[in-house]
Amino acid sequence: MPGGTSRDARRTERYIDGLMEAEEHGAAEVPMDLDLDPAVLVAARELRASLTRVHPSFRFEEGLAARLAQVGAATQGPRREPAAQVFASPIAPFRAPGLAVAAAAAAVGGSMASAGRTATRDGLAPLDVPHRLSLTSRSNRPFVVGGVGVASAAISLGAAYVAWRWSRGSQTPMVRAVRAARSGRGGHASGHGRRAAVLHGILGVMS
Amino acid sequence: MFGSTKESVRPARLDRDRGLVESARRDPACFDALYRKYLAQVYSYAFYELRDHHAAEDATERVFMQALTGLSRFEERADSFVGAAGDAPEAAADASTFRVWLFRIARNVVSNERRRNRRRPVASLEHTTGLAAADDIFESAAAREAGTAAWRAVARLPEDRRRAVVLRFVDEMSTAEIAAVLGRSEGAVRVLLHRALRSVAADLRGGLS
Repeated sequence: MPGGTSRDARRTERYIDGLMEAEEHGAAEVPMDLDLDPAVLVAARELRASLTRVHPSFRFEEGLAARLAQVGAATQGPRREPAAQVFASPIAPFRAPGLAVAAAAAAVGGSMASAGRTATRDGLAPLDVPHRLSLTSRSNRPFVVGGVGVASAAISLGAAYVAWRWSRGSQTPMVRAVRAARSGRGGHASGHGRRAAVLHGILGVMS
Repeated sequence: MFGSTKESVRPARLDRDRGLVESARRDPACFDALYRKYLAQVYSYAFYELRDHHAAEDATERVFMQALTGLSRFEERADSFVGAAGDAPEAAADASTFRVWLFRIARNVVSNERRRNRRRPVASLEHTTGLAAADDIFESAAAREAGTAAWRAVARLPEDRRRAVVLRFVDEMSTAEIAAVLGRSEGAVRVLLHRALRSVAADLRGGLS
């Protein structure tokens, strides 16, 4: 009777499930089904005990692993994308973030979009390509480069200020005297010469 | 009436190997993790089917080579089960996880190997396992005798029942997974297993009497 066979088949399935679960959890007793043929229960237990998993030899395992690695390495070359191609696009938005995002999306649109399709087809969460690109371009590169730019500008301003101060002639008499005394210092000027120059400068100031 | 037909949908199961498969797709060196995980299962399936260690090794190698080179073609398909209201939901035959896909390759490789082996003599499973367990002969003689009887009974089963038994008891697959590997419905696999157990029971009883 087909209905009876189907019912018994379901019972047998439940029994095997219980048998395996009990073994997995180390249970001492196996669930019983009194409506099932005892011979079937015995056969299930016998098969569970006898049909053990067989492991190949260690030498075979390692040998096959090496051969698979060789085949994998042979197929790996053309499929791997160069790093520059992957990471070049986020650098571009640094100059003009708004435009660069679109440009980068267009540049890598093929590869990233195809990755997104693959992921969706395989049941993974789809990648939001433009979002990822904009985040990358705004948070990383401009921040780092902008900091360097501010520091560089500050140094330039400082240097310009010092140069301006240096080149600007002071109008105070004392400064003029000191400058005159300094200009009087020669590489080989004697101490007497320096003193005379200072006195000359002071006298000039006084006059 | 189409409108009155209600469908019961069982939630799709996720492939536990999805992460490993994606890694192996990006970098074939990562295939090693999948290989180590399923080596014993595939080898056991081949061994119980071919009953010879060397033939099982050859088949195992072919299975993993095919899996590695064909990994880009593997598509995970959820086993969403759809059935009429009141009926038990049945597995879609095209449901596929990496494990199911791998065992489909194994089934094909082993079938080809068996076809080839029909032309030449093959060492029996009992003989091979007897040689492998020769060192503990005194300790497990009784156990091995019982095991040998069970193996003999399984070996006498028709091909589809034997495969179902090996996938269920050795590789610990669920009925749904076996159905996907063998391309049968879950109900058909349940009946296959039930009848296989009845046959084994009768065989064991005959051996005892």
